[in-house]
Amino acid sequence: MMEKKTVHVNGVDLAYVDEGEGPPVVLLHGFPDSSYLWRNQIPALVEGGFRVIAPDLRGFGDSGKPQEVEAYGMQTIVNDVVALTMELGVRRPHLVGHDWGAAIAWMYAFLMPRRIDHLVALSVGHPGVFATPSIEQRAASWYMLFYQFPGVSEELLRRNGWRLFKEIMGRDGDHDRYLRDLARPGALTAGLNWYRANRSPASELRITRRFPPVLAPALGIWGAGDKALLEEGMAASGKFVKGPWRYERIEDAGHWLPLDAPDQVNKLLLGFLGTERPAHEERRPRRRL
Amino acid sequence: MSEQPDVVIVGGGIAGASAACKLAAGGLSVVVLEKQEAYKDLVRGEWLAPWGIREARRLGVEDCFWDGGGWEIREWMTWDEAVADDEVEAVDMTGFIPGFGGPMAFPHHAVCELMSEQAVAAGARLEMAAAKITVTPGPRPVVSYGTPLGPRELRPRIVLGATGRGCTVGRQVGITMRNSMHHWGGGMMVEGMDGWPPDVQAMGTEGDVMFMVFPQGYGRARLYLNFPTVNKHRYRGPGGVDRFLAAYELKCLPDHGKAVTAATPAGPLSVWPSVSSVPEGPPLTEGVVLIGDEAGNADTVLGTGLSCALRDSRTVCDILLGSADWSPAAFAPYVEEREFRLERLDFGASIISRLHVEFGPAAVERRRRVRRLMARNFAAQVTGLLNMVAPEEVPEFGFSEFFAERLFRETA
Repeated sequence: MMEKKTVHVNGVDLAYVDEGEGPPVVLLHGFPDSSYLWRNQIPALVEGGFRVIAPDLRGFGDSGKPQEVEAYGMQTIVNDVVALTMELGVRRPHLVGHDWGAAIAWMYAFLMPRRIDHLVALSVGHPGVFATPSIEQRAASWYMLFYQFPGVSEELLRRNGWRLFKEIMGRDGDHDRYLRDLARPGALTAGLNWYRANRSPASELRITRRFPPVLAPALGIWGAGDKALLEEGMAASGKFVKGPWRYERIEDAGHWLPLDAPDQVNKLLLGFLGTERPAHEERRPRRRL
Repeated sequence: MSEQPDVVIVGGGIAGASAACKLAAGGLSVVVLEKQEAYKDLVRGEWLAPWGIREARRLGVEDCFWDGGGWEIREWMTWDEAVADDEVEAVDMTGFIPGFGGPMAFPHHAVCELMSEQAVAAGARLEMAAAKITVTPGPRPVVSYGTPLGPRELRPRIVLGATGRGCTVGRQVGITMRNSMHHWGGGMMVEGMDGWPPDVQAMGTEGDVMFMVFPQGYGRARLYLNFPTVNKHRYRGPGGVDRFLAAYELKCLPDHGKAVTAATPAGPLSVWPSVSSVPEGPPLTEGVVLIGDEAGNADTVLGTGLSCALRDSRTVCDILLGSADWSPAAFAPYVEEREFRLERLDFGASIISRLHVEFGPAAVERRRRVRRLMARNFAAQVTGLLNMVAPEEVPEFGFSEFFAERLFRETA
């Protein structure tokens, strides 16, 4: 078990793993995981000469679990990552995200092009694709709608020995561990708040500005067995990337790529991080006084 | 100087480990002795009635069940040679106890492991691989056992015997049982049973087997077979596993049982004489109290062994935590309630065995007759309640000889 440290940044306690020396890589997990998701990647990256920083994102693992929905807006969580890296003296890390962590990584990449080196998104594509989902993706995302009802979703998911939750999760990911994680005080509500803050039908009504382009070199990886996120989300993400874009599809893996295909993921990460050059930022015409 | 904990629990199964959780959380010093080096699938009971889930909740160990792989089952189908295809009905099991759903199927060893972890986290000491355990009763009982590092001795204030049907402690302290055996049983875990509805448990009899299927989700299920004592070794020896699975090729099952026969074994196959044991006196002596199957049990066909084990655990823990008097007299409420409970369960189990685990044309005709009676008079299904609600909540008429007589003699 890797040792975790804790910092207080952006109004929340964040637990994180910090291992190795070299160019920094930040690993961002998704729902309902924690930095434990990356247990197969961390040693490989450390061995490959990287400094690996893997936080438990707010609401998960050993980090703080605010109970208000508003505490889980995407921008707030991007700010958690910014604040954590600043605190650790990291200026321009590689960012690797899975599931919600990938969504955060994408957003971080286009909001803060000068604070990211390479971007790797696992399973989840650019939010621009997800803003106009196909009806198939909407059907696959039914649970996101189900998670919207404060108190009610919690009770229905927990009822009769977490029966519904077990059916939604199947035997994927760390399924035998999630129940114990989510039984910690406030953990289930905190996890669901990610969906409530960012995936409510109301949030879809909000006008989205045009997304700034991703300038960093970006790699998208998608598992052919993913039942929650369809391939379109990742395959169509390239149009939001101005830097070099690469898409990899792993046949024998489902949604939890870091666990289902650890060797392939490690190989892709080690072969990609730090190898490409970013696109140049658009030159803004100098304003004349 | 021997270690002097408050309580030594012999056996880290469902009864023992749950008691350890409760007692350690209550502030007592507890040592649990478990003979296995690590918990593994020993083909034990894996079905908990709704009233058993309520006991688990009261004991504070419910999460261990669900986190360990517990799966709610919602419907009960009887597929049986005595039931015509168009008469098969699904019995909804989710509404028997308010606040609780249907019964639960769970991987026994995984739950025991989580429960023992919870006990340790609460301050209990768990000794795995404890061998050659001997218990000497008395006001200050002595427990000696072997470890890989040599023999050890404990002098607790009290010993809880929770070694299951082996009755290891009970036999040593002179508690005798009236044993009877009606049939044999066997069980095995399977996976890849994707054609089987995960909400549905099934039972039925055809030819010379009575089968049970308890799904545990994700295509896994615990299978049990009950069969007559003649030819009792039919699933032993080479090819036993294949013969066991092939026994589910039954005309009464949908698609002739293909969903089961095509499954893959996912654990050992175990076969045993289905013995029920009723203690001839109270299941305790000076300094020793028995709980769980060790304190007496009904035939496994009823499926209430684990629910009983949890009730025992809760009742005994409440006495231990509620009073400084741990003399045999202090356990009178436990002894009395347990005797009442086992009498009912034993009675019910014997009805179920006679009805469903006897074979041949006369037995088939009897099942048909009883079904007709039950269809005409709903109250005749009273024995079925024993699976769902606590024994004291089942109407009394279901336990009279008169009722049994009527059930079996009725010529409809």
